[in-house]
Amino acid sequence: MTGLSNMTERKNLWPWLLLTPLAVFLVVFFVVPLIDVAVMSFTEPRLTFANYERALTGTLYQKVFINTFLTAGFVTLCCLLVGYPLAYLMSVSSQRTAMLILLLVTMSFWTSFLVRTYAWMVLLGTNGPLVWLFQAVGITNPPQLLFTRFSSTLAMVHILAPYMIMNIYSVMRKIDPVLVRSAESLGARGGSLLRHVYLPLTAPGIANGCVLVFVICLGFYVTPVLLGSPREQMIAGLIGTQLDEFLAFGMGSALAMVLLVFTMVILTIYHRHFGLDKLWG
Amino acid sequence: MPKFTLDPASLMTPSRRTFLKATGLAAASTLAAPYVARAEDNVLYINTWGGPWDEAARAHLFDPFTAETGIKIQTLSPVSFAKLAQQVHTGTYEFDITTLGGGELVRANEAGIIEDLEAPYEGGLFENGVASHAFATVMAWRTDKIKEGPKTWAEFWDVERFPGGRSLQRYAARVLPIALLADGVEVKDLYPLDLDRAFESLDRIKDHVRVWWTAGAQSTQILRDGEVDLIGIWHGRYFEAEKAGAPVAMTWNQGEIDRAYWVVAKDTPNAENAKKFIAFATSAKPLAEFVMQADYGALNPASNEFIPADAAARMPTAPANYSQTFEQDMANFGGDPAEASERFEEWLAS
Amino acid sequence: MTRFMKWLGVVVVIFIAAPLVIVVPMSFSTARSLQFPPPGYGLGYYQAYFSDPSWLIPTWNSIIIATATTVLTMLLVVPATFALVRHQFRGRSIADLMMLMPLAVPSIVMAVGYYSYFGAMGIVHTHIGVVLAHTALAVPIAFLVLSANLKGFDRTLERAAMSLGASPTKTFIHVTLPILRPGLIISALFAFIHSFDETVVSIFISGRNAETLPRKMFDSIRQEADPVIAVISTLLFALVLLGLVGPRLVAALRNRRPRVQAA
Repeated sequence: MTGLSNMTERKNLWPWLLLTPLAVFLVVFFVVPLIDVAVMSFTEPRLTFANYERALTGTLYQKVFINTFLTAGFVTLCCLLVGYPLAYLMSVSSQRTAMLILLLVTMSFWTSFLVRTYAWMVLLGTNGPLVWLFQAVGITNPPQLLFTRFSSTLAMVHILAPYMIMNIYSVMRKIDPVLVRSAESLGARGGSLLRHVYLPLTAPGIANGCVLVFVICLGFYVTPVLLGSPREQMIAGLIGTQLDEFLAFGMGSALAMVLLVFTMVILTIYHRHFGLDKLWG
Repeated sequence: MPKFTLDPASLMTPSRRTFLKATGLAAASTLAAPYVARAEDNVLYINTWGGPWDEAARAHLFDPFTAETGIKIQTLSPVSFAKLAQQVHTGTYEFDITTLGGGELVRANEAGIIEDLEAPYEGGLFENGVASHAFATVMAWRTDKIKEGPKTWAEFWDVERFPGGRSLQRYAARVLPIALLADGVEVKDLYPLDLDRAFESLDRIKDHVRVWWTAGAQSTQILRDGEVDLIGIWHGRYFEAEKAGAPVAMTWNQGEIDRAYWVVAKDTPNAENAKKFIAFATSAKPLAEFVMQADYGALNPASNEFIPADAAARMPTAPANYSQTFEQDMANFGGDPAEASERFEEWLAS
Repeated sequence: MTRFMKWLGVVVVIFIAAPLVIVVPMSFSTARSLQFPPPGYGLGYYQAYFSDPSWLIPTWNSIIIATATTVLTMLLVVPATFALVRHQFRGRSIADLMMLMPLAVPSIVMAVGYYSYFGAMGIVHTHIGVVLAHTALAVPIAFLVLSANLKGFDRTLERAAMSLGASPTKTFIHVTLPILRPGLIISALFAFIHSFDETVVSIFISGRNAETLPRKMFDSIRQEADPVIAVISTLLFALVLLGLVGPRLVAALRNRRPRVQAA
């Protein structure tokens, strides 16, 4: 009896021993830097709440936060509109076609953000293929595409769409074709098939994809900075400017904390309903 | 009300230092110590403007200096005042030497983030920076879109007469005086700047500025590739686009002159070598050759005897050009430049 | 409706493929800048990339940093994953959740933290600093991959080995590790790629001595849109293609071999 309980005691030490190195590492090199951001937001340049007051009430910052949310929402919507038909196409195509499309999406997914951002710069530039195409069909005065809200939004949709597609496809391919056929035989066509069969069955994938895309987009730095204009800055770009141009660590940290809180609120709600480990799984 | 402060003393308040120490980082820092900036006898790191500036400096300043002293030179760009302040306070040096414009020089010296220097030539020292060369922000345009270009900033602002996308530098201290000239202010009445009026003037051009460029190379690229039709650009960068065969033209008229000063980051372990380099880089002949290749104007008068007349004609300091231009007056700016640039950023985002 | 959805799907395929395809011809261009169609084709920019230290050094830095990150990440994550998947203990679900946090915090927030924190420690702009940061950020990904593998692990094989008299250590080395090997490799590969691709934190903390390839690319795109980026993009793209298609190709060839021999 005592022997057995001793064994369980010993057994219970093991996981802690195995976990300790990683736990210590994450505390020192993840948690502490994060706390540093929180501390700086109250102490730089002096002990103050002013950074937050300014971050939440200053017209510039409010504007950038609102713009960030609207952009993230819009990009998420676009990703859904782009991703759903593609996932559908994959689920109804032959296995070979589905594989090829999946390969394409995975390839896009694994190609660096920077490469894809640069590719859009090439595509949309004044001497780029799109303008060339415009001119070929007789449009001599094509609109400015690069360095606008359009270019950065388009590139973000392209970069984030694979997250959406993979999430939706993973649930859609599990839909039983028999179910679809029987729904059709009962008279479900077009819109009603989509509404009553596909949407309910793919809802978890949609939720996953939307949360993931929205959250990544909220903190997006690279693409808006490279392809957007200062008028449509997003919050991450503004944080970068605070550090690089103004050395305002306090203000940068306060903005970072606000961004962090927004992100955490969304993820907590998601966690309550689905479990956070499902999000990236 | 807190500001976007550039006062480096505020970078690390005591409370934060205590906080970091309290987290037990002392040990980790010791572990990392061998990797932290140490004096590298044979390498100097110089913060440069990149592009043609870099090439000219490499050919006439860096390589000859290495040949003479055995000290290698590595560069990184673009020039960043913020980085200079940051590295002095963290003690981790990305570069030992940089060049600053007059306004930034005054601020850097006040903040004590640059080494005390001595004048390598008479009259060469200003606020612990050694005067090297002059450059100008001029207006330039695409001749395939605009036959007869603008002569003044007021005309540059005239979108009816000169339709097309524009670009200006994302840099308040250079753009605000230009905005005032565009609004009809005379050069002699420019400083101290009337900031409100400058921003009102900028409001009128805002919708037509497609790119606010942040790095010299970028300004060349967008002019050369025709991403914009008119641009306020450094003259050296303009010549680069011209040399690349782009259909472009410029005017010296109302060009805005800046002076560039060499400075050494405070307390860098390479300070001695850095000073040696600056003395070399501002001596008559190397400076002359450098400015000839990059089309800058030499600020060491002794350099002029090495510069032939045809090369001088492309420099902003040539009398015929200089008479058309105006100089920055940072000492008489009309307010805190840091506040002005904060307001400028807010204006950009709105 | 279904036909409409299909066509929409085709349009989306083009939308996804176009940017991936376009950089390839651009990399062989002879134009000084972005120009389409290219005025001529050549290998000039490939030569420029492979001979310019300002591109090669960051490439090399990235390889070193990603390798070190992978090793460190695996050393930390493998034991921790075993603890979290195989042992029941109080606080396990919280520990599970904590492992995912680095993935949940936006990169720019961590960039602010590392910039200031490593600055105070004096390890910004060093390989060590970047490796430490990248490891913290790679932990969740390596963990997710490995724990999925470990959860699907059939423990009867281990029990069989033990019942046949193998010691726990022997069982681990001869049974557990070989079966887990694909999972370990993929998990390590993900950690490597995560570090190799990481941009935002690198932009702020990888300075003169440890400049990574993504930082160099970011600066270059921002400053001059140097066509050499098209070369790097093509090379990276080729690597991804190789990584995705390669294994399948090998598998296909293996399956075919007997038939080839028969013929």
